Amino acid sequence: MPQEARFVDYKTKKALVVDDYPSMRSAFKMALASFGMTKVDLAATASEAVMRVKSGNYDVIICDYNLGEGRDGQQLLEELRHREMIDLETVFLMVTAESIYERVVAAAELAPDDYLIKPFNGEILRTRLDAILLKKEAFRKVHRSFAQRDLESALAGCDVIIQEYPKYFVDALRFKGEVLLAMGDFEGAEALYKQVIALRAVPWSRLGLARAMHLQRKEPVAEEMLLDIVKQHPELVASYDLLADVQIAQNKFTEAQNTLHRGVEVSAKSPRRKRRLGELAYQNEDLDNAERAFRAAIDKGRNSVFLAANDFANLARVHLDQNNAKAAAEIITSNRKLLQESPEGKLVAAVVQAQVNARNAQHKEARAGMLEAMQLKKRGARCEPELAMDMVEACVKAGMDDEAAELLAEVARNAHDSTALLDKAKRIYQEAGKAEQVSDILQKSTARVAQLSREGALLLQKGDLRNGAQKLLQASKEASRNPRVLMNTAWAILRLVEQDGNSDDMLGNAMRLLDAAAYLAPEHPRLAGLQTMLRTIESAVAAQRLAALIKPT
Amino acid sequence: MSVMEQQDLYAALLHEMKNHLVLMAITLDRVPHVGDAGHDQPLDEVRLLCQRASERLMQALFIYKNDQGGALLNAVDAYSTEDFLSEMAVQARSLRAQLKVDTELADNVPAIWFFDRNMLEMALMNALHNSVAYARERIRISARVEEGMLCIAIEDDSEGYPEHILQAVAEDKPLSSSGTGLGLRFSSLIAKSHVNNGRTGMLRLSNRDGAVFEIRVP
Repeated sequence: MPQEARFVDYKTKKALVVDDYPSMRSAFKMALASFGMTKVDLAATASEAVMRVKSGNYDVIICDYNLGEGRDGQQLLEELRHREMIDLETVFLMVTAESIYERVVAAAELAPDDYLIKPFNGEILRTRLDAILLKKEAFRKVHRSFAQRDLESALAGCDVIIQEYPKYFVDALRFKGEVLLAMGDFEGAEALYKQVIALRAVPWSRLGLARAMHLQRKEPVAEEMLLDIVKQHPELVASYDLLADVQIAQNKFTEAQNTLHRGVEVSAKSPRRKRRLGELAYQNEDLDNAERAFRAAIDKGRNSVFLAANDFANLARVHLDQNNAKAAAEIITSNRKLLQESPEGKLVAAVVQAQVNARNAQHKEARAGMLEAMQLKKRGARCEPELAMDMVEACVKAGMDDEAAELLAEVARNAHDSTALLDKAKRIYQEAGKAEQVSDILQKSTARVAQLSREGALLLQKGDLRNGAQKLLQASKEASRNPRVLMNTAWAILRLVEQDGNSDDMLGNAMRLLDAAAYLAPEHPRLAGLQTMLRTIESAVAAQRLAALIKPT
Repeated sequence: MSVMEQQDLYAALLHEMKNHLVLMAITLDRVPHVGDAGHDQPLDEVRLLCQRASERLMQALFIYKNDQGGALLNAVDAYSTEDFLSEMAVQARSLRAQLKVDTELADNVPAIWFFDRNMLEMALMNALHNSVAYARERIRISARVEEGMLCIAIEDDSEGYPEHILQAVAEDKPLSSSGTGLGLRFSSLIAKSHVNNGRTGMLRLSNRDGAVFEIRVP
């Protein structure tokens, strides 16, 4: 009966089947061949699937949720999407004998296109594939625009689907919500999610609304909504992450830690959630739980892309704070091979080893380690501010005061507005009995950025966009790793261009600043709005230039 | 062993048996038809039995879960009613190839409706299995909107339901005497788990040209 079937041409499509049972793999192959899908590759494990996807361009991936040992189907899906190995146009169909999977899918940030419960027959497989492929067809332009970051076209495309395909009405609304959030139109997203909730309060619409409120910094409202969501849908993991964000934004760090702790209890899989839990516990000076979470982040992250050198630095830092230098050293020795694979890993290994040496009063070794670390950093190894503070600490302890001052000045310049980091610096110097040095370093390094920012803001307030933007540009040169300063500057420049037109490549500056901010703080709530503002002004400027060319005066 | 532990043990047993049966059904699916009734017919019968047995166990597990206070529905979302009907028709045809299966979508049915697709499908499969077993030659699967509810009906040309079953469902009495009531109880639970705007879904049985099994979701 599915008349639609004739529109799907399976002969041209390529599929990958991932299942740990050889007999299931061949059963799938036979079923797919029965409706003309003959270009089919097979994989038995998640790692094998990753290899296959790297070299083959698949239209359809059919994957069993339970893949025996190693990663499961959901983790495979998350890794493929996270590494951008498959895009929105690739069909991912999950197959499962576990009725629990529906809960997993409801809880997952990344859902497959559909899922199929075993046992099922080949005809049902075809019906589902028909439906997904036809939907993909309808969304193709929207998905392409979104992938090319042409968000305005993606938005317009969603509206067309909402108008013309009643069947995909809700899917199009859901995607439009994502587009609006990516554009920074949080009020638009709020209105949209309220529209969906009026139809039916499905969990994703409630979560979307809470996110839109959070991004508008209406934290108490967002918190109330999320507390209600986790009560009604305790399995919806994404809501714990968002609730923790909302609580952090209100400085409710203990509550945030508890929230993430519950999230980890519901789904123990995500190393990223564990890492955040560890960071919060550490910040709350709850070293036992910080240790547990960081250790789990490393264990869960092994053999996946989610493990970072910084995870080892985090855990080692906890051990050092517990006065357990031996355990810190042990982390580096037992992971030496892995850490030597990247400059970041080498940096972490050198810093932790130097910290351990400094604690054991092996100052010569500590100094040698720090010199190596500073070389690695100079040659471009990415260094989180927390790790840079570890370097400051090691230098102070090893008597390398000049190097410590230089490192601290750099961190402080880029974090003049972060009390947590500046307080840590004070503590480090106090513990080393060098408290008199620290205020001088902090004062000198932050004074210029702070002053330039202040003066720039004042000029903007008075309506002097040009000079205000110039001041802020100087500030962002000083604090080139402070996303807030970069975004403030970009905003001022965009206002200026809006008012006076583009001159001296101001738009180029704004673009560079926003790119740098996106690298440093990809999830900052202001970023998407500024990027949209940039695109809008860019096309206005281009249109003006074109008009001037056509009608020379 | 406490009552709780005993119940957990039974639940674990049900779960394990269900998984074995699912594997068995998948394995049977790999035996192809050969065009010989002496081979194909018993194969179909055994597949159907296997599917029914695993579904029964799954339903028993859900009823157990419901008795423990757990929520029955996992994933209420927007689904295409048309796709849902054609999927049910595909299921019916795969169970008995000689059967005539029609679908009918009333004009007043919107393109999408909110429901838990897999649970509703399981609830309807009960009726489908019955109809496949008892229908003379045809089954009709239809959808319409009545009093603001989506009504999905499965009708056949069988003898119809016996009076005591019609009465028990109409009076909403739990049926349990012979085991045949388990499926109906499950279907009724799933229907009633669908709530929207203060309205609750329901199961309705009647006889017309044969048995009529209807689930209404608000």
